[in-house]
Amino acid sequence: MKLKRVLSVVMAGAMVMGMTACGGGSSSESGGSAAASDAKSSAVESEAAGSEAGGSEAEAAGSEAPAESTGLSGTLKVAAVETAYGQDMWKEVCAAFEAANEGVTVELTIDKKLEDIISPEMKSGVFPDVIMRAVGAESGLTETFVKDNNLIDLTDVLAMNVPGESVTVGDKILPGFVENSITNPYGDGKTYLMPMFYGPCGLFYNQGLFTEKGWEVPATWDAMWELGETAKAEGIALFTYPTAGYFDAFLYALLHESMGNDKFQEALKYGEGIWDTPEAQAAFDIVEKLASYTESTTPANANDNDFRKNQQLILDNKALFMPNGNWVIGEMADAPRADGFEWGFTALPAVTDGGERASYSFFEQIWMPAGAENQDLGKAFIAFLYSDEAAGIFAEKGGAVQPITGMTDKLDGDNKLYYSIYDTGAVAVMDAFATTDPVEGITARSTFFDPINSLVTGDKTKDDWVNQIKSDSDALRAALK
Amino acid sequence: MKNRKKKTGFIALCVTPAIVLFIIFMIIPTIDVFRMSMYKWGGYTADKTFVGMENFSKLFTNPKFYQAFQNSILLIVIVTLVTFCLALVFAAILSREKIKGQNFFRIVFYIPNILSVVVISAIFSAIYDPNQGLLNSFLSLFRGEADPILWLGGQKLVIYSVTIAMIWQAVGYYMVMYMASMANVPDSLYESAALEGAGRISQFFSITLPLVWTNIRTTLTFFIISTINMSFLMVKAMTNGGPDGASSVFLSYMYQEAYTNSSYGYGMAIGVMVFLFSFALAGVLNAVTKREEIEF
Repeated sequence: MKLKRVLSVVMAGAMVMGMTACGGGSSSESGGSAAASDAKSSAVESEAAGSEAGGSEAEAAGSEAPAESTGLSGTLKVAAVETAYGQDMWKEVCAAFEAANEGVTVELTIDKKLEDIISPEMKSGVFPDVIMRAVGAESGLTETFVKDNNLIDLTDVLAMNVPGESVTVGDKILPGFVENSITNPYGDGKTYLMPMFYGPCGLFYNQGLFTEKGWEVPATWDAMWELGETAKAEGIALFTYPTAGYFDAFLYALLHESMGNDKFQEALKYGEGIWDTPEAQAAFDIVEKLASYTESTTPANANDNDFRKNQQLILDNKALFMPNGNWVIGEMADAPRADGFEWGFTALPAVTDGGERASYSFFEQIWMPAGAENQDLGKAFIAFLYSDEAAGIFAEKGGAVQPITGMTDKLDGDNKLYYSIYDTGAVAVMDAFATTDPVEGITARSTFFDPINSLVTGDKTKDDWVNQIKSDSDALRAALK
Repeated sequence: MKNRKKKTGFIALCVTPAIVLFIIFMIIPTIDVFRMSMYKWGGYTADKTFVGMENFSKLFTNPKFYQAFQNSILLIVIVTLVTFCLALVFAAILSREKIKGQNFFRIVFYIPNILSVVVISAIFSAIYDPNQGLLNSFLSLFRGEADPILWLGGQKLVIYSVTIAMIWQAVGYYMVMYMASMANVPDSLYESAALEGAGRISQFFSITLPLVWTNIRTTLTFFIISTINMSFLMVKAMTNGGPDGASSVFLSYMYQEAYTNSSYGYGMAIGVMVFLFSFALAGVLNAVTKREEIEF
């Protein structure tokens, strides 16, 4: 009898524990489904979501390439995230690599939720050889590998000849793309992440409205504020933003403009006292003033669910500018728009008259985890991705543009407008905050970008924001790699 | 004797698969959450470093954790109280009173429960839309064309906006649960009470409430667990913790840290706190609502 009672108490206890365990532990599953609701949380990440890929099977595009013996063999495991560019280009590039290297098989894993597919295997120690996933994604997959020092040094790939061409990979990649804090995360002169597809980020506006009203696109922030007053008189707000996450590209470019490259690099390493410098303060002042010119309902829609409503403000002529990347055009393709609407794109206005105008150059990265088994084959594959053949497939099948010489000449239409921004004098900025060991409770987003929502609503002052940046920077500096 | 042994053996055989599954999928993962909370781990690779209670000490000094904690408690209290009262009143009316369209109301109240959270969040973001939303359009009748209220954009307002959506979603479910147990209360009790001169309200408090008390106690535990879980889903779908963390709750903060900030161990420390908190709260609620069971 007593045994029965003890047993029933134990069973009841176990049941309660189980139920509560559900409460605490189920977040990962539910998180997965909720996160599927198109998490477009930062500008950098935005490229990751997008149009459905066409279903057509890849043809062996490289079949016409001569199948010479390159001495490579084995099975290469490639994992790539499916973005707005679709799946086809990856399938074809893999097929082309196989055709060029007899005896090589490429196992391609491509998915919009790549992490969900490859994480279970990685936890048990089986890694893909090559992973295509950019920093800035919500999952933080790439950051986690960087922070854990789990990457293979790819510096020697830069010295490799591009297969079938007489130029090295390093020489073919545009200047700046392998000498920044994203590709060289540890600042030791070694390249761990290779740049893949890139796109300029800047301010988008309705060119039609500017033509109709006879307004000039401001070249300095002072001109911007003047335009803000003019527009306000007509009931149009100067500025809006999709979500606060889109301020990453914006803030990097703005800091570069106001601080110059040296101090900007120091700021990226959370240099001591850097946020108190007049240059940094000038950038904060601009953001504060911009917040006061921001369309007042913006923060209410600045979430992953409703950010398109903020983008719609530009199409409806309710706001003039928003920070974004060229994916916004596809994203808003079916949205209703004001008569005479035409997309316009500009770099950030200069802080001083005649000063630098910057545009953040967002690029995706491809890298190899330390656990990769076929390292030589993986490096050869990456080198192949910079060949004219591969670049042609990427551009033709997906519209993806790589930072390699000669690519921009081949562009036409809308794309030419965006990629020619650097030809018209804008400075390309492509760094990001330096890598640190994981600092629990602090993310760049919650420190630097999210509080901008509070600046707009008036719940925080500029000083609150800057003080938070300073104290979090102290913690991040201590954890620098 | 032999028969009894046989019977015990048979029962053991029958429950073994369930117990094994329970241990593998419940007990071990729960213990694992506790274990992982003492490691510094990114979550993707095998590199883990044991850091003892460091994750917890960081947790207790982080204002964002307290913000999430406060929001969660606020949600648990308000959602539980309001949902409980509404569900109980609706259940009493629908099961005791003869009103027109009784079934219609039952269905209408229950429908939100069938909808997925994503649909609910879409409905509410349409209602809360500052410019074309139902709520602001209605309020403009009284307020005129003043500045629109930012239901999901105001730091102080957003958590209440989430609360309303959660209550709307939960009322029907609990109403059905209360109605089920109210249906078991014999009519004779009400008839004799009516003969004694008891009105509807005193009947509710003296007969209905005491007789469905066991059911109420069970649902209180459900309230805690489901509010913690549902608040994560709602927040994730509606605001993603924003603006500026104003609507972050336990599990959204845990998700953010564990899956987006390369701090899986720290995330698990939050998980442990949630576990202990919900366990303790359920225990306290159970103790304070303990009454002598009334049978009928």
